[in-house]
Amino acid sequence: MTRKQLIFEKGYNALINNFTPEMDIKSIDFDTILPKSLQRNEEINLPDVPEFEIVRHYVNLAHKNYGVDSGIYPLGSCTMKYNPRINEVTARLSGFLKIHPLQEENDGAIELIYNLGQQLCEICGMDAFTLNPAAGAQGELTGILIIKKYFEIKGIKKDKIIVPDSAHGTNPATSAMAGFSIIEIKSDENGELPLDQLEFAMKGGDVAGLMLTNPNTVGVFDRNIDKITEIVHKYGGLCYYDGANLNPIMGIAKPGEMGFDIIHLNLHKTFSTPHGGGGPGAGPVGVKKDLINYLPCPQVIKNERGLACVENEGESIGRIRSFWGNFGVLVKAYTYILALGKNGIKNAAQNSVLNANYIRTQIKHKFTIPYDRINMHEFLVDANLPNGVNSEDVAKALLDRGIHAPTIYFPLIIHEAMLIEPTETENKRELDKFIEAMLEIYEEAEKNPEYLKKGPYNTEIGRLDATLAARKPCLRD
Amino acid sequence: MDYVPHDLETIRIMLEKIGVENLDDLYVDIPNNLKIKQLNLPEGLSESDLLKNLTELSEKNHIYNTSFLGAGSYYHYIPSLVDSIISQSQFFTAYTPYQAEISQGMLQSIYEYQSAISRLTEMDITNASMYDCASALAEAATMAFFVTKKKKILLIEGIHPEYIETVQTYCWGRSIETETIPLDELDNKLTDEIAGVLIQSPNFFGDIEDISQVAKKIRSKTKKCLLIQAMSDPTCLGKLNPPGKNDVDIFVAEGVGMHPSFGGPNLGILSVKKKYMRKMPGRLIGLTKELHGEKEGYVLTLQAREQHIRREKALSNICSNQALIMIASLVYLVSLGKTGLKNVAMQNFQKANHVKQALSQISGYKVLNTKPTYNEFIVKCPNINKLIKKCKDDNILPPLKLSHYFPDRKDEILICVTEMNSKEDINKFLQIAKEAAQ
Ligand SMILES: Cc1ncc(COP(=O)(O)O)c(C=O)c1O
Repeated sequence: MTRKQLIFEKGYNALINNFTPEMDIKSIDFDTILPKSLQRNEEINLPDVPEFEIVRHYVNLAHKNYGVDSGIYPLGSCTMKYNPRINEVTARLSGFLKIHPLQEENDGAIELIYNLGQQLCEICGMDAFTLNPAAGAQGELTGILIIKKYFEIKGIKKDKIIVPDSAHGTNPATSAMAGFSIIEIKSDENGELPLDQLEFAMKGGDVAGLMLTNPNTVGVFDRNIDKITEIVHKYGGLCYYDGANLNPIMGIAKPGEMGFDIIHLNLHKTFSTPHGGGGPGAGPVGVKKDLINYLPCPQVIKNERGLACVENEGESIGRIRSFWGNFGVLVKAYTYILALGKNGIKNAAQNSVLNANYIRTQIKHKFTIPYDRINMHEFLVDANLPNGVNSEDVAKALLDRGIHAPTIYFPLIIHEAMLIEPTETENKRELDKFIEAMLEIYEEAEKNPEYLKKGPYNTEIGRLDATLAARKPCLRD
Repeated sequence: MDYVPHDLETIRIMLEKIGVENLDDLYVDIPNNLKIKQLNLPEGLSESDLLKNLTELSEKNHIYNTSFLGAGSYYHYIPSLVDSIISQSQFFTAYTPYQAEISQGMLQSIYEYQSAISRLTEMDITNASMYDCASALAEAATMAFFVTKKKKILLIEGIHPEYIETVQTYCWGRSIETETIPLDELDNKLTDEIAGVLIQSPNFFGDIEDISQVAKKIRSKTKKCLLIQAMSDPTCLGKLNPPGKNDVDIFVAEGVGMHPSFGGPNLGILSVKKKYMRKMPGRLIGLTKELHGEKEGYVLTLQAREQHIRREKALSNICSNQALIMIASLVYLVSLGKTGLKNVAMQNFQKANHVKQALSQISGYKVLNTKPTYNEFIVKCPNINKLIKKCKDDNILPPLKLSHYFPDRKDEILICVTEMNSKEDINKFLQIAKEAAQ
């Protein structure tokens, strides 16, 4: 057998599990409840598997997965920091886990939502936050729809959004979802946004706003940030901050004070909620005063009588999902912010920058660093190694050494992009191990490139054929 | 507590290697006028204080002994192993499985989820999850627009009000027109200009619609229009005819296996007919083979649809989904198995219909559903406020007042009964209903 057994192949002929409460009332003839034509007449094609077998199956699968708990996870743009266990405990307190979204006795949940919103306002320099969006991308959609609403209500027609070419794919995709077309601006040789091009684009008069990540996706802080937001504002546009990279500046500077009008955060990155193997996250959106009315509903506000839940008051962009968002994730972020406090937040930021710069300076004599200056929490490598060894090969060679690879092939502006973000929760030993591995791989590229091009070798499975997967899609059993 | 491991000496050594003197020097690029002095937040807390603080906050929410409230979020029994498995740290501390060779655990689990949901729904293909049912429905509407290039969506009354509002928000973004109509007007409204018809069954009020009849109508009157079915509680599929048997083009639902948690996280199921595979949003996992060997394994696939490649031409911007909850849903489904799922569905049908019949015999109460119902139904009450208050007094989470969503429907409630309501709970509720009528 070349494939690992699926859970469906572990079925038994008899049901052994007994999870469901006893049926303790008298049954009604089922055909009178549901006509035969609406009944399911074939068995569900799922096995009956005893509990121990299921637990073993998934525990074994979990062991084949690399998490932050396995070692350094320097995935650029993803902020894979340690996930404190207390967060898992607080989100599972029954007063949070078992409450219904429509129950009226919800003071604790409403207070948590309000308090977390206030904390995020303080950290980001914004005036109000919605915590409803389920992830960064949904936060972006919320934010860009707010821009759409703002101009719609003012009766001004502006149908373009500026994004730099270094932007994450979600930025242009989001703009399109809100009906905007894109003006893409090429980053300059420092990885920053060229002011003359920005001004030229804004002069067109049809630009609703700019979406910017800062520090940007090459890991540097745009030194012209106040001029950038000034130019956008001068021509009546709004500035949107993609907060995926907030980690290195929290407690140091506030996006709101840089001139941003709207911001989304990724609580599963910066606030360690964790990432869950791909989600659930949360993508709160913060806005300045003038935009508060456009926030999605429902919202928690404070008035004379205390906290209150408000629904659509007319100008809101409406609802972007059901209920209050990924509430369990919010509990974890709230716990995390309380744990760190004002000093811990700043300390985390500073150390994330320290760790990233440490790695950069220890490998820059070998690796090409396209934007080689003091970086923030991450930095970009052009992993164009000797003898045609590329970014993917380096990534696989890292896996062979028991280390998770950095983000590769993002951002798109560098051909062999490798974006390295160690985060603040790694110790020096782990950073040194990573540095050593990178240097060793470089040497190997000089001596034995063919070996690297076929790796990895020490992993559960060898390099997989992605082309085959897409050409002959097999998406289920 | 900041979870930063370095001591001062280590920091000093590292700064020296970087070639700067102190941590502040790392921020030369940030203009000084933008640097803040200090955040206006309290000092950090110890773990024990955190737990105390959060426990006190959680206790300000009331936990009821039993519940008759559903309306999009349901209490079902969740086997203990579900939480145990999603607590495996290599699952919950991982990112999206970009590096397939060290992520086979997550990838195989997603593949199993895609398979399990496809088997349950009898739909061809299921993605690796959306955020929730509401946003999945909104993305399905967008998908109908991408497939047909038509810019109008019909929503059939009875879709959860929060889903309708979500669909409207997303459709407004892309300038897709929406119109909400009663089912019996579908005939008149169906034209070749319609991209998709959205219908929920069992619907918000509990009615089970005959989806196959709706499909027939759509096929007979239009060439391209898609039929999209939403479902809030897919446990009904243990006994109910699945969407794949009813010619449904796109099926969306809320996930299973999660506690309500104030409405999230759960997940959005999105399943489609095979011909729409390349038009569906969200992540997909596929089976493939080693490049230099014979072993089979799993990778993220068909990424050409997605934002990081297609950018502004992408079908959706979704990136992170609800992966860990997807594992919870998968483990829930396989834990119950085909026998358990049938059992749960049967109990929900039986208990809710028992309460429905019993209430209709108490004078003053009128059941308003005329179609078959699963675990929810609507009732006109003689004294709604008295009923709600008495429930709370007895530590029962009362049914939903319909006026929460429909301000004119002042004396109607939406009752939910699941396998979690014991005979005693049910008898007590019926007793309260009787007393509240007097
Ligand atoms: C810069 C940037 N923006 C947006 C996103 C999207 O965030 P999410 O995956 O939470 O939707 C990401 C995620 O990787 C990102 O790196």
